[in-house]
Amino acid sequence: MGQGVGDPLASLESPPAPEELVSADRPAIEGRVRLYLEALGVQATDELERLTQQVIERVEFRSRVGRLGEPLEAAIEEVQFLLDQWLLTELGIDNDPDRLAAARAAVLDGQPPGWTRRWAGLGHEPLAESIITAWIPAVPPPAPLAMDPNPIELCCHRLAGRLVQGFRKVLKLLDERRCVRQQVRKP
Amino acid sequence: MIGRLVRSLGWHLQRPVYFGLVLVTTLFCLSLLSVALQDGGLSALEIVLLVLYSILMLWISASFWTAAIGFLVLLLRRWMGQRSTAQPLGLEGIAADCRTVLVMPIYNEDPERVFAGLRAIYEDLGAAGVQDHFEIFILSDTRDPSLWLQEEILWRRWAESLGSPPRVFYRNRPENTARKSGNIADFCRQWGARYRYMIVLDADSLMSAATIIEMVRRMEADPRLALLQVPPVPVNRVSFFARMLQFASSLYGQMFAAGLAFWQQDTANFWGHNAIIRVRPFADHCGLPRLPGREPFGGDILSHDFVEAALLARAGWKLCLAWDLTGSYEEIPPTLIDYAKRDRRWCQGNLQHARLIMAQGFQSLSRIHFAMGVMSYAASPLWLLFLIATGLEAYFKGLHRPVYFFGYNVMPIWPQYYVVEMTTVLWVTLALLFLPKLLALILLAIDRTQARRFGGIGRASLSALIESLFSVLLAPVLMLFQSKFVAAILLRTSVGWPAQQRGDHQTAFLEALGAHGGQTLLGLAVGYVAYTRVPDFFWWFTPVLAGILLAIPVSILTSRVDLGLWARRWGLFLTPAETEPPAILQRLEEQLNRPSPVDWTPASAGMTPASQPFWVQAVLDPRIYALHDALLQNEPQNRRRRHILEGLVFQLQDEGEDSLNLREKRALLSHRDGLFLLHTRLWAAPNPPGRPPRLSQ
Repeated sequence: MGQGVGDPLASLESPPAPEELVSADRPAIEGRVRLYLEALGVQATDELERLTQQVIERVEFRSRVGRLGEPLEAAIEEVQFLLDQWLLTELGIDNDPDRLAAARAAVLDGQPPGWTRRWAGLGHEPLAESIITAWIPAVPPPAPLAMDPNPIELCCHRLAGRLVQGFRKVLKLLDERRCVRQQVRKP
Repeated sequence: MIGRLVRSLGWHLQRPVYFGLVLVTTLFCLSLLSVALQDGGLSALEIVLLVLYSILMLWISASFWTAAIGFLVLLLRRWMGQRSTAQPLGLEGIAADCRTVLVMPIYNEDPERVFAGLRAIYEDLGAAGVQDHFEIFILSDTRDPSLWLQEEILWRRWAESLGSPPRVFYRNRPENTARKSGNIADFCRQWGARYRYMIVLDADSLMSAATIIEMVRRMEADPRLALLQVPPVPVNRVSFFARMLQFASSLYGQMFAAGLAFWQQDTANFWGHNAIIRVRPFADHCGLPRLPGREPFGGDILSHDFVEAALLARAGWKLCLAWDLTGSYEEIPPTLIDYAKRDRRWCQGNLQHARLIMAQGFQSLSRIHFAMGVMSYAASPLWLLFLIATGLEAYFKGLHRPVYFFGYNVMPIWPQYYVVEMTTVLWVTLALLFLPKLLALILLAIDRTQARRFGGIGRASLSALIESLFSVLLAPVLMLFQSKFVAAILLRTSVGWPAQQRGDHQTAFLEALGAHGGQTLLGLAVGYVAYTRVPDFFWWFTPVLAGILLAIPVSILTSRVDLGLWARRWGLFLTPAETEPPAILQRLEEQLNRPSPVDWTPASAGMTPASQPFWVQAVLDPRIYALHDALLQNEPQNRRRRHILEGLVFQLQDEGEDSLNLREKRALLSHRDGLFLLHTRLWAAPNPPGRPPRLSQ
């Protein structure tokens, strides 16, 4: 019984050294980061180089502080964090998750053109305005109306219950009267 | 002055005239039948027969007089020189600040068809130059993760193509509380104040711009009008079964609608879609309560439309049926089995209305709507009981041998026969059932333009004849289906609310055997008993028996698309929508033929094999992931939720998609943290990802 619990715990007790992991997996991490960046829409070689380098540095930093976890997962996370960080800076917003998500969706949809260059730090034209306008809101601003359930009085609902209740009341009344009569009769 | 008085008198007489005719017809037939039955006194069985007959006769005579009055209304209209209501395209009579929204509540529907329909309508509004006054809101209750993502992609592509200001909106409800009525109520609660009117569409609804504009104009003209229903005409299906129904509905539909409008006046009903509603009174009065008790009669109100109409009428608002408006379309189930499946969904909701008939405060006509809704399904088991009672009565009569000589009488005493009465009852019943078809053909015969649209009066008559023969064959099958549904519901077995299969597809032999096998066996057994025990009854029973025994081949045959197309080539079951397709149907066709914005090619290699469902492949695409993420609501961090979602991601990766139930799959896509985990874990899998599905630009 204790074996099943003991084994995984034992493996947790001796994690491999983080530095070794990174150096061993570096080509794999680089490859996966490139693939992911391409999927995000980064196509130019210089942009790819620059962004990959930044991501690898971040992964290495994570590794150094012992918060690496799975290297490939960490690398993908870092690409996303890098993108989010750039968007926050570009838009000048302070961690507004909805605006950030909208901006991310807009740029990954290819709007505005040239955003990847700016992200890689190779473009100089600010894009905040065009990123904001590129996102089309899914719903209009709230315009609430009250809509409360309207009561519907069903006929004969719980009729049997009501009849029994009424019958009980009558019986109780009769009983009370009987008690009163008995008390009156007593001298 | 006198004219107004006459009109007012006529207005007040319409309902008494209609209900008087229904009552007189029923009493007449009932009197004939009771004369024939009461010879020698009425037995308990005969009393049951008479009661059943009265209810059924009320039902069919109500339908007959609706059609007959509709016939007269259309005839009078034609005589007065009005063929169709002109529907000008401009915005005359509509206030500049009047904003109308077209809402489409959807639940696991085909996204391509949903968006093609809406785009066609919006394009039609654009062609009329009135797009600025209308917005579109897709109210998704879709639970299927793949369909959910496809809806979002299609919305995004469309919204992008329209640009700013945004006029097409989309939202997916986290919980589909109270189903369709809850979906619309949720919309009203969040955005209702933005709009003066909403036009409710079904997933397969289609409405022309001219009709939509006219609906708004009529609402603007009458500030007490809360709801205007435009009868939809079924279109676009090509199976033999569907084309037959489309033909019947196109030919007889307007006549029935005109008759309904005659007696419903300003207390018409809501059919659930293809109607315009004044938003504020709807929000004020149509919030639906949960009915006390448990399902199937308690809980959420399933067929919400009748109840919403009754609540609006109770609050003093007007509801009208715009029978004279065209340009309103819907699609129908392509096969008999799909038709029965739809009935199964509707049946529970309609029977639930039985509890509302006597509820306090409703108008009398609303109660009649409820009763008619109940009868549209309760009629089937009543017909079945009537047939059984008739068979038993015939059996008992057969046991009775006439005695010609009593005591010392030398003259025989002949038994009394009621052939005339019984034949009259039979003919009147048949006339009530089939005369409306003849009336519709008469209307067609005097309108040559319309007759040409139906392929000519000769072909239309032949089509009506074939349709009548098939309806005789199909009626007993539907009777058995509906009786089964009613029985299941009365036994408190919830029948669920499955999504409908709308596209054309053919019934396979095994499917037909599964659906009709029991019916066929029942038909064989009943036929044998009737033939051996009550041979006289057997021959009267053969039309019903034929329908039941032929259910399997008829179901397969009528589902065939090639037979439907063959009939079209021969000019059978032609409808105006087929011979002269209106612009809106052509626009839909064009939209459906456009390439999809989603490249459906599955991943060719790597960790997302072709067998992976769309949603798993889609989440891999950073663009679809980001789009979906942006449409989710932000939630506070929750460590427990994160751990649960992490577990689900591992389960998906280790044990495959089938190991997750629908709720778990949806949970993975419903929270930003879960989605992030899923996307990241899929990209961090040991094998590099293959090509995920890409959005075309």
